[in-house]
Parts: sequence; structure tokens; C-alpha cells
Amino acid sequence: MSRVSAFLFRRRGGKGWHWTDVVTFGWLFFGVIVMFGPALWLIMSSFKSPAQLAEFPPTALPYESRTVVVEGYDKPLPLFIVTDEAGTRTLAEVRRVGTTAQMVDPANSGEIQRVNIANRVPDRQVGFAWDNYVQPFLAFDFMLYLKNSVFVTVVATLITLLTNSMAAFALSKYEFRGRNAVMLTVLATLMIPLSVILVPLYSIISAVGLFNSLWGVILPTVATPTGIFLLRQYMLTIPDELLEAARMDHASEWQIYWRIVLPLTAPALAVLGIFSVVWRWNDFLWPLIVLSRKEVYTLQVGLNTYAGELNVQWHFILAMTVVTMIPVVIVFLFLQRFITTGIAGSGLK
Amino acid sequence: MPASMPMWPRPWLPPAETEGIVAQLKQMAGAVVTAPLGWAARAIDPPLRLWQRLTGTGGMAAFFLLPNMAIFGVFVLLPLVINFAYSMTTGGALFLSDREYVGAAQYAQLLDCDDYTDPSTCAQDQFWTALANTALFVVLQVSLLIVTATITALILNRELRARSFWRAVFFFPVLLSPVVVGLIWRWILQRDGLLNAMIIPMGLDPVNWLIERNWAFAAAIGVTIWAHLGFYALILLAGLQAIPKDLYEAAEMDGTKPGRVFWRITLPLLMPNLLVVIVLALIRAVQVFDEAFVLTGGGPGTATLFLTQYIYEVGFASLLKNPGLAAAASILMGAVLVVLTLIQLAISRRNEKKGKLK
Amino acid sequence: MGQISLKGIKKSFGAVDVLKGIDLEVGDGELVVFVGPSGCGKSTLLRMIAGLDQPTAGTIAINGTDVTPRSAADRGLAMVFQSYALYPHMSVRQNMAFGLQNTRMARAEIDARIADAARLLEIEPLLERRPGQLSGGQRQRVAIGRAIVRRPTAFLLDEPLSNLDAELRVSMRAELSALHARLGATMVHVTHDQVEAMTMADRIVVLRAGRIEQVDTPLNLYNRPANLFVAGFIGAPGMNMFGATMARGVARLEGGPEIDLGGLPLPPSGAVTLGIRPQHLLLSEGVEADLTAKVDLIEALGSETVVHATLNEGAKLLAVLPGQPALARGDVVGFDVDPAMVHAFGADGVRLAGF
Repeated sequence: MSRVSAFLFRRRGGKGWHWTDVVTFGWLFFGVIVMFGPALWLIMSSFKSPAQLAEFPPTALPYESRTVVVEGYDKPLPLFIVTDEAGTRTLAEVRRVGTTAQMVDPANSGEIQRVNIANRVPDRQVGFAWDNYVQPFLAFDFMLYLKNSVFVTVVATLITLLTNSMAAFALSKYEFRGRNAVMLTVLATLMIPLSVILVPLYSIISAVGLFNSLWGVILPTVATPTGIFLLRQYMLTIPDELLEAARMDHASEWQIYWRIVLPLTAPALAVLGIFSVVWRWNDFLWPLIVLSRKEVYTLQVGLNTYAGELNVQWHFILAMTVVTMIPVVIVFLFLQRFITTGIAGSGLK
Repeated sequence: MPASMPMWPRPWLPPAETEGIVAQLKQMAGAVVTAPLGWAARAIDPPLRLWQRLTGTGGMAAFFLLPNMAIFGVFVLLPLVINFAYSMTTGGALFLSDREYVGAAQYAQLLDCDDYTDPSTCAQDQFWTALANTALFVVLQVSLLIVTATITALILNRELRARSFWRAVFFFPVLLSPVVVGLIWRWILQRDGLLNAMIIPMGLDPVNWLIERNWAFAAAIGVTIWAHLGFYALILLAGLQAIPKDLYEAAEMDGTKPGRVFWRITLPLLMPNLLVVIVLALIRAVQVFDEAFVLTGGGPGTATLFLTQYIYEVGFASLLKNPGLAAAASILMGAVLVVLTLIQLAISRRNEKKGKLK
Repeated sequence: MGQISLKGIKKSFGAVDVLKGIDLEVGDGELVVFVGPSGCGKSTLLRMIAGLDQPTAGTIAINGTDVTPRSAADRGLAMVFQSYALYPHMSVRQNMAFGLQNTRMARAEIDARIADAARLLEIEPLLERRPGQLSGGQRQRVAIGRAIVRRPTAFLLDEPLSNLDAELRVSMRAELSALHARLGATMVHVTHDQVEAMTMADRIVVLRAGRIEQVDTPLNLYNRPANLFVAGFIGAPGMNMFGATMARGVARLEGGPEIDLGGLPLPPSGAVTLGIRPQHLLLSEGVEADLTAKVDLIEALGSETVVHATLNEGAKLLAVLPGQPALARGDVVGFDVDPAMVHAFGADGVRLAGF
């Protein structure tokens, strides 16, 4: 531990502790708690049973009651630690009447003891309520939502990469009449977020019969101006001589795009691909409008619908929130530096 | 912004020890993915060669632009035009031919107020509530966000060990979905939630964070800052790292105090990035919806009802749908966004020019 | 066969005329070098032969067929680019195979051609490498190899040596010449380096401001430059130029000294420009020197000595003397001029008739 702190605290320059150093590490540790804390709390909570979730104040770790199978009883009985004038001992509860519990000693099942519930605490151990994760997939439609989300994410990303890169290729490597007009149109649409055209877009989607269809979610999002800009900017750095060499090599324009420019744009395509995956996975407002039948819900919409029900089943919702979070966290863990340099370089989000 | 993106930074490469595995995976993925793709690409080459012969490179440019521009036209440009038509017609019908033309009546209805300082005197009191809420939200959220993001960037720019770890700490929530963010905080801020459990031992009374008007509004601000802080800090950090080190060394040689260094060197040189970040944050804040909607659903009452949610409610969610009114409201919001975006483009262009002069 | 003929080629970019009417015949198997200062249009001309740019006017014919409307791919030419333009994501072998695959050539034939070219250029061990893993000289060879495997009607080389360091450039120059001799193919080579042009070319095309100044063999260009521009451009260091007035077979240089050019077919009177190569000035042994100058600077190169001097009249003079003459700064020395080595140009800059 001290080696970890020595590593984290070692400053490259300076010897004593300046007040700015104090502020720095204060802020950083505050950051760790505030930024990571909530997600960590979510994960811990997602493993708690409904009864535990209702507890206040909450425990940090998920617990489950120890149970024991006692002779003469069909179901396993929960164990409690009882402390009264007779000393401290572990008993199993048979039933509870008012403030009095009827309990048995697991070793001596014949004798019922009456214990005031104020004199006992549940005997618990750290345990994970995996059922929170299993049930939504079995009893609810989460498998379906997950499938829908994956479909939307994958298809939208593939279409985005293909159409954006084709357009970026035309806009970066060809001189043609109207190129500036096209660029200007693309630029102008940077100003029109989806939230401004919700109503007419909805009517178009309905008119072409894509309401309640995953394609209705996918299509309006794939022609991103940001993607075109990002790819075009990258393609501009590819020397024209390469394309000319390919033309001399008897390559068609399509081959030049597919075999020369596209492979060389791979780093930018990767960045756009990662972002597209995150965007489409996280999309909420538009799917919320287009999808009104449960069979076509994406994870985000499904999750919000469950959380909006009168009888909120937090134990399931927390677990499914974690599931929804997992792909993004994986992307983050593996591609963190790739993403952060991507944002710093382009201001893309 | 993309328009001003400099040369692409070197892509991140996996550490050496994973290279073997990565190469293998790549090969497998390559075989699975590229085989059919390559086949498809080869299959469409002959017709395209013919097209190229017939139309020349101009025709090829059109071909490459077509898919994107078709989608773009149908799902972005066309809606934009229809939006105006919607805003001037009324009724619940979807098709324009079934709608009744009312001219600017819906704009008039939206803007009709006896007393502009009191939303309850307006014909569309919800719109004005949403407008007032959004305005207050924008001012408070953006200023707090920019201050915290700047502090974070300044601290991350210090000579820290494990800087990429700390940077990741602040960046992590940026990728989370708004629904996840909303639910995480709903869970923490509920009556029997973690926050109350933490403040009771401190001798404070538990608060119903999401049920009390002011606290709910503050929560919407806090949660959106939590979710986006890392993004803006990252852009500002890139700006800070572009400031030449020798300027600081020169200031140190002159014995300049840290505060003075910040006001006289860091801040002026960071200003271009700061302006871009402020406008970006404004554009986002005006459209606030997802996180707040999941967190509070606009409540309690209308305490956290924002413009986008108003449009959503009026256009889609309420029993008496009024697409025309929603369209008019969205055009008013769009106008604000266009102004902000133009400012942002002007700033980036100026920055780009300055950068070139250097 | 690889015969190229250009007729009345003009090219304008907007209001700027880059080429103002080029007529040229390149014979089969010939190595023709386009040379000229930057901006003279030599690269544009090459790109138009390649088909990468379209001329504003004029026709390009290859082996008698008008190919002007044809695209670059259909002209049967191969080009080596200044930056080599190797596909960075393909191995050397794939780079060379790419063009052949595009013509749907059989795999065995492709492999055979690559093997041949690799042997010829000694790049066999590099075939599986990527361009990023090669040195400048190796990339150059690969770029040439990519052209060779195509078996083109003619090779077009756009400043292929300009990205190499001085030493490598000299050796690659020799290799390219040897390659030309061996392949016997038509080559059109563009360069701004007149030494490169002189050493490699069968014929040199000197271009300036969109026009051909002179087309001839290297030695003819050196010995009989058609005008002042070619005279100044070819040969290093550059030719000394003196304004002079002719009178009765004697040239009077501006400011005084007279050189007797009796016996040369010069006009009896009028203004001329005399050109004398620095190598053709001889240190005067006697008292009566043609030119007297004060030494400003001496560059002793061992085998020869470059003398910068100022004539009494103020004009600058450059002389390249053989060996290591004992001279020092400030010395006043006399130079003799061999009348047979003098070039004379008229007031319009054109070489005087009869020279």
C-alpha cells in the first residue's frame, strides 16, 4: 500500500509540499470517489437481494442469510444469532408472531424456543444474489432487448463506416462541381441535432413504414456529419500520388477506394467505429420515440420502461443496468488511450 | 471540432506481449470479416468499371456520395423542411395533406403571455416553464461544468505520476449511457439511498433529493456535470499540453507566482480552447434531456421539465398529441442552436487561422 | 515499341498558362530527360503523357495511336513517382503484384515477373517487407520494380532521385542508366538537376516557363547552347556572361577590355552577349592578358581550383583552373580567352548564326 501511495504521490519536480500539491491530490482523490464510487455502488447493490436493498442504512457488501435444513421442516430455515439472558447462540427461525419468534436449535430440532426479535440479529455471510442477473433473462424480455441493441449497434456502425467513408473519399479526393455545396450542406447539418427534427422525422419514419422497426432507429443516425469530417480530414493526409500510382496500375476508382484508401484510413475508421458503437449502444431519445412495442425495445428503452413502472423492481433494474454498462466499460478498458487521444485530436463525441 | 482537427495523432498500439494474441485474433477476424466483404467488393467492381467508363470521375464522385447523401436527404434535410410546414399547420394528423394551415398561430400561441416573468400567465405555461428551467439550467450547469473541467484539466496537466490513470478516472462516466447514468444516480439519491446514509452519520437530516424541487434541479445539474466533465476536461487538457513548456520555465526564471502564471500565461493561451468548449457545452445544455428525464422524469411537478422533454411530451407522449406545436417549439430551439453553432464555427475557424500563422 | 509524340500541347490552370505549346518526338528506346527550373511545366508535361492530367489543347500519340482521351490506366505506361508512392499497407511483393492483378493476369505469370524484376534489382530478400521497413534507396528500387513488372510501353520517372542523399543519388543514377541500357525501353525522366540530365540522357529537353528552349544531346547542349537560358542552365558552375559591343572583329566588353575575336563569323558591329565557361578561362602566362581581375575568393578542390574574381570594371568572373595554382586573395591575375570557346548571343538572347 505504501508503495502504491509512494508511486502515486511521487512528483516529478520539487521537494517540499506546496499548497498546490495538496489541492491536486485532494481533487484527484475526491475525483476517484465521486467518479468511480457511484458505479461501484451500483455493482455492489446489483448483487443484493430485494430484502437487503430495502435495508437502511445499506451495507457496503451484499449479504445473504445463512440457512440450515432442520429435521422435520421442509424448507431451509434462516439462521439468527440470539443474545439474551441465556447467552449467545445460533438458532433457526420457524415462524414469527408479532415481536416474538419461534426458533429451534438446529442441533436439537425438537424444542421450540420463543425469542424476542429485539434480541437477535440475522446470521449473514457475504453472498451474491445471482438471481438478479438470471431472472431478467429468463422471465423478462432482456435477452430480446440485448439482441435488439446488438443488432442496432452493429448494423448502424457498419453502415456508418461504409457510407461515411465513401462520402469522405469523394469529398477529399475528387474535384467536381458542387463539392463545396455538398460540404456546406454537411457542415450545416452539424447544427441540426436530432432533437430539433423529432416530429417530422417521426412522420417520415411512419410514412415509410419503419415505425416500430429497428431500421427506423438505425437509418436516421448513420449519415453522421461528424464521421464524414473525421474521415475526410484523415484522407486528406493520404498523398494523391498513391492514388495516381494506383490509376497507373490499372486500378478502377472503386478499387482505389477499397484497396488503397480504406486500408490506409484504418486508424480513423477505428476511432469512428468505436464512437459509433458507443453512440448507438447509448441512444435513448430516438429509440424511445420510434419503438413502442416491447418486442423491438433496445436495452436503454427497456431499462427505462422497467424503471418507470409503479412497482420498481430495483434488484432487477440494478443488475440490468450493470449488464447495459458492461460493453461500454470493456470498450473503455481496452481502448481508453485510443479514445482519449481521439477526442483530444478531434473534439468528437 | 472535426473541422479544425489537426493531423491525426499516432494510433494507440497494444503492448508487445499481447501482440501475438492480437495478431491471431486479427487473422481470424480478418478471415471471417474480409472474406465475404472482399468477395462483395470484387463482385461490384465490373459494373462500377463500366459506370466509370460511361460517366468519368464525376460520375464516380456521385456514386461515392450517393448512399450517404440519400440517407442524409431523407432523414435530415427533408425533415428539416417538413418541420416548418408542421409548425404552421395544426391537428393530430401525421400527413401534411390532412393538416390545417394556421400560419404563425402556433408560434403566437407559444409566445403568448400576459406577464413574461410568470410562466403561469402564459397560454402555453409548460413551454415557458420548460424555457425558464432550461435557461437556468444552461447558465448554472455550463458555468459550473467549465470551472470544474478547467480545474481538472489544470491538475491533470501537472507533472503527475500515473497521469493516464487519473485521466481515465475523470473520463470514465463520459461513455456511460444516459439511462445508466440516470439510474445510477436515482439509486443513490433516492430516500433510502447511499447519499442519505452517508449524511445521517454527519448529523444532517435526510433529504428527499429527487422529490424536493430545488434539490431535484440541483441533482439534474450535478449529474449532467458528473457525466460530461471528463469530456471537456480532456479537450482543455489537450489545449494546455499545446502550450510550450519554455513559457512556464521562463516565468519560473522570473520568479512569477503560480496564480499570476495562471492568469497571465495559461488562461490567455487556453482561451481559444476554452471558448470552443464553452460553446459546445452550451449547445449540449440547451438540448438537455436523457439523463434528467431518467433521473427525475421532469418532476417533481414541472421542476425539471426542460425544452426537449417538452417537445417530446407535446409531440409524442401526452394523450393530446400536438405535433404542430412541438414542431414550432423545436424550431425555436433550433434557432438558438444555429446561432451557437455559428459562433462555434467562427471561433474554430479563427483558431485555425491563428494556428496557421504560427 | 515505345514511341511518343506530342503535338501542340497546351495546359492552363484557370488563367495561368503552364504549357504554351509543346511539340516533341520521343523515339523508341530513347532516354529523354526533361530539365528546367521549378515551375517550368516539366512535371505537368510528364503527368499529361501519363494520363493523370488532361491537356487543354494538343494531342498525345503513343506508337502512332492518339491516346489523348484515354485514361492513365489504358495507356500502357508505368510511372515512378517522386515520393515513390508505394502502397504502405502492402508488402513489396503485393505492391508489385497489384497492377498485374488489376489486369487479371494469371498468378504464375505474376510470380514469374516479380521474381525476374526482384533479381534484376537485387531486392529478393525484401519481397515480404512493408515499404515502411525499407531505406530510401530500397524504396526507390521497389518503385522501379513495380514499373518494370508491368512491361510498359514506356517508363515515366518524375524526379525519382530527388529524395535520396547525395551519395546514393550518384549510384542510383548509374544504376538507372544501366537499367535503361539493359531493358532498352523508352524512358522519360524529369529532373531539375542538370548534372542528372547530362549524365543520363540520350537527349535533353530544356524547358522554361512552359516552352521548350532546346532539345538536343547533352554534349550539343553544352557545346552549342541555343540561347542564353540554356547556356546559363547547362554546365556547372554557370557560364560567365559579358555584355559587349562589336567593332571590326574586336569585342569591347563593358568598361574597357577588348578581346580580339578575329576570324569568327561575328557581325561587324552591334551589341552582343559573350559567354565563356569558367573552365575555358586560362591563367595568362604573359603580360598581355585578355582579362585582368582581382581575386576575391579561392575554392581549392584539389583536382581543380575555383577562382572568384572581379574585373577592373566591376563585373564578376568565375574561373575553374586545373590543378592547384598558387593564388591568394587580393592577387591581380590575367586570364586568356580561347576565341574558339567563346559563345556569342544576339540582343534577343539567341545564339548568333554561324556559331
